Amino acid sequence: MTRLVSIAHPRITALLLGSAAVVALIGGAVQAAAIEAGTMDPITITVSNTGCSPASVSVAPGKTVFKIKNDSQRRLEWEILKGVMVVEERENIAPGFVQTLTTTLDPGDYQMTCGLLSNPKGILKVAVSDAPIAPPSPMDLVGPIAQYKVYVTSEVTALVDKTRIFVAAIKAGNLEEAKAAYAPARLHYERIEPVAELFSDLDTAIDVREDDFEKKAADPAFTGFHRIEKAIFADGTTKGLDVLADKLMSDVLDLQKRVDGLVITPKAMVGGAAGLVEEVAATKISGEEDRYSRTDLWDFSANIDGAQKIVDLLRPLVEKQDPALDARVRENFAKVDAVLAKYKVGTTGFESYEKLTEQDRNGLKGPVTTLAEDLSTLRGTLGIN
Amino acid sequence: MMVDRPAGTCPFGFASVTGHDATAGGPSLGRRRILLGLGAAGTALGIGAAKAAPTPVETAPVVDNDGTRDRQPFYGPRQSGVVTAQPAAALIVAFDVLGTARPDLQRLFKHLTKRIAFLMRGGPAATAAIGLPPPDSGLMGPDVYPDNITITVAVGASLFDERFGLAAEKPKHLVTMTRFPNDALVAEQCHGDLLLQICSNTAETNIHALRDILKSFPDLLALRWKMEGFLPPHTIKTLGKDTVRNMLGFKDGTANLDAHDETLMDRIVWTGEQHAEPAWAKNGTYQVVRLIRTLVERWDRTPLGEQQTIIGREKATGAPLGMVNERDTPDYASDPQGLRIPVDAHIRLANPRTPETDKNLILRRPFNYSRGMTNAGQLDMGLLFVSFQADLEAGFITVQRRLDGEPLEEYIKPVGGGYFFVMPGVEHEDSYLGQRLVEGSA
Repeated sequence: MTRLVSIAHPRITALLLGSAAVVALIGGAVQAAAIEAGTMDPITITVSNTGCSPASVSVAPGKTVFKIKNDSQRRLEWEILKGVMVVEERENIAPGFVQTLTTTLDPGDYQMTCGLLSNPKGILKVAVSDAPIAPPSPMDLVGPIAQYKVYVTSEVTALVDKTRIFVAAIKAGNLEEAKAAYAPARLHYERIEPVAELFSDLDTAIDVREDDFEKKAADPAFTGFHRIEKAIFADGTTKGLDVLADKLMSDVLDLQKRVDGLVITPKAMVGGAAGLVEEVAATKISGEEDRYSRTDLWDFSANIDGAQKIVDLLRPLVEKQDPALDARVRENFAKVDAVLAKYKVGTTGFESYEKLTEQDRNGLKGPVTTLAEDLSTLRGTLGIN
Repeated sequence: MMVDRPAGTCPFGFASVTGHDATAGGPSLGRRRILLGLGAAGTALGIGAAKAAPTPVETAPVVDNDGTRDRQPFYGPRQSGVVTAQPAAALIVAFDVLGTARPDLQRLFKHLTKRIAFLMRGGPAATAAIGLPPPDSGLMGPDVYPDNITITVAVGASLFDERFGLAAEKPKHLVTMTRFPNDALVAEQCHGDLLLQICSNTAETNIHALRDILKSFPDLLALRWKMEGFLPPHTIKTLGKDTVRNMLGFKDGTANLDAHDETLMDRIVWTGEQHAEPAWAKNGTYQVVRLIRTLVERWDRTPLGEQQTIIGREKATGAPLGMVNERDTPDYASDPQGLRIPVDAHIRLANPRTPETDKNLILRRPFNYSRGMTNAGQLDMGLLFVSFQADLEAGFITVQRRLDGEPLEEYIKPVGGGYFFVMPGVEHEDSYLGQRLVEGSA
């Protein structure tokens, strides 16, 4: 037990430095493991000069404690192998000594070394259990969360860069350039929308729609991308937008600053995948998000990208927990991508949303709604409350 | 924007309830009291939650004759919800079927059969681990009681297009509803591959069923339009003694067919051997749904005499003009010029009561509706018209053609709906809706 923790610790600590939430996670996990240790019946493996006894072991999935007794005349090394990969090992067991190894193995067939390399290897089978697999420990989420933070940070950087281009075009009075820069900037916002929503004041300032105001587009509090969208696409002018453009820029920079210091919780990340797809189902399919620019498909695909990113990062955990769920999610992402691919322009761009046929819109509803249903179970599947 | 409301506010205004619990003794205690309050039938949620002293209500739920346990049959050669007496609440929902091949349709019908059988029978609501979204909306609590619900499944002409290879199986008269001269059809509220007519004692029971079905088929069904209708419950309890009034204030259904008359229903409503329909379609019926807006403000500014001659009945009693009782049979033969009941009165055009028009009879099963208002600030309400007939052409279409140009048109505007075919019933548990359709012609 102690050995396991000391192996794990430096790696995790490196990932988690600077993140209070993660430190708390580790503490919790270590404690849980300590409580569980010592409660299982150990499996004793006796290694002699010629092999292991027993030479074949079957265990249930989950935690197993092995007691390795060295009855041979030499120091030995005991390993659990999966193919050529060493899954677990105990080194330097002196003749006559016993060492304990506690491990959690996934279902499958393994081998164990039994003394001399020339000795036949023992067989270790971990049965597939009918019982639900225990959800991953919070520690398993540390890696994905760290990687997601990297993703979010790079998207915010791109958002700042692209917004700068957008704002410059507006202030230069260049209407066509401003129109062309609108969707490419929003793309990066839409990819990380669940994170941006953690700062509701900024989310409102940057991405609010006129529907949220009683006076609709005429409301003075209506700012951000959609306010400028109306001016440049519907009213066809960049005049009088300087203040709005400057405010958008400063709001986006503020977002960047706040995201830098943001601790992304497992809940925010995993729930974010579902949130992004809900967003697609609720406002993108209807085509009400970018009603003046008709660039809904950019947003649509960005939301899907953002959800896909999270799901990809979580895939190893989800696959283990519920392979059928993972398969369905893959399939439905592929279906959505296939429809989007039909309307691609260049590498990141899309046709006007009006180009979609009724059949295509319906074709999107099925996989998007199924994704929404499936991703809503992701948190529960991964044991995140 | 994902969140459409100010951060921190509760969308349904329950925030104040939570606050109250907290002061009364902690959220968990408060929650427990709410649950206890809900467990006792008739205890108002507000009272149960607001009580300061934790006095659990011990009385067992009172089983009274409130109709929550009323149950309509699901299994049988014909579906319920056609000749079934009308309960107070209706929810009619049209869907686009999203599948692209026959197995999708088969999966849809098989599973839909299971869901409907459950909802009509009742039972414990499905549950899942606490970390997962609950599979049941919880709208009816942990016990899904039948509440007299019927869910009637019908298919539209579009289901027989190239997707599922069922073109040859399309019921003979099933077409996409076309516009009549007075119609102002709104595309978003018309037609559909599949229609569910959900009727029960309460709107909540219907909504629970719809949400159950939507959650069951995220990949196969997309909502196309829906319409909620209602009838006065007290009138329904005495159905046959009193007739429901429509939004025009007139009794509607006085001369409707007697749904208990099986011989009549076999002749007028159900498709049988004589109708030369595809083999799978026996024991079905054509369903017409029309969303008919009534311009009530204008109607309410119309003199009573004119209202009565437009309809052909006395407004108060429902009696045919010139007669005394509601059930009196109008004698059009003795009034060829329409001196008593004008020849273009609604009831006279709809049912001229001649031997030749006997084959045009239809079984009506309409509900009233009331939803928002128009851009002009007028009420959007009217009739959720439903009719059943074995021959769509001889039935509704012919009747509606006779009504084209009637004086009532000035006050009504059909805006949506469609033509559908109610599938035969599910005879036993090993079978499913439309089995002979999807398997018979494979």
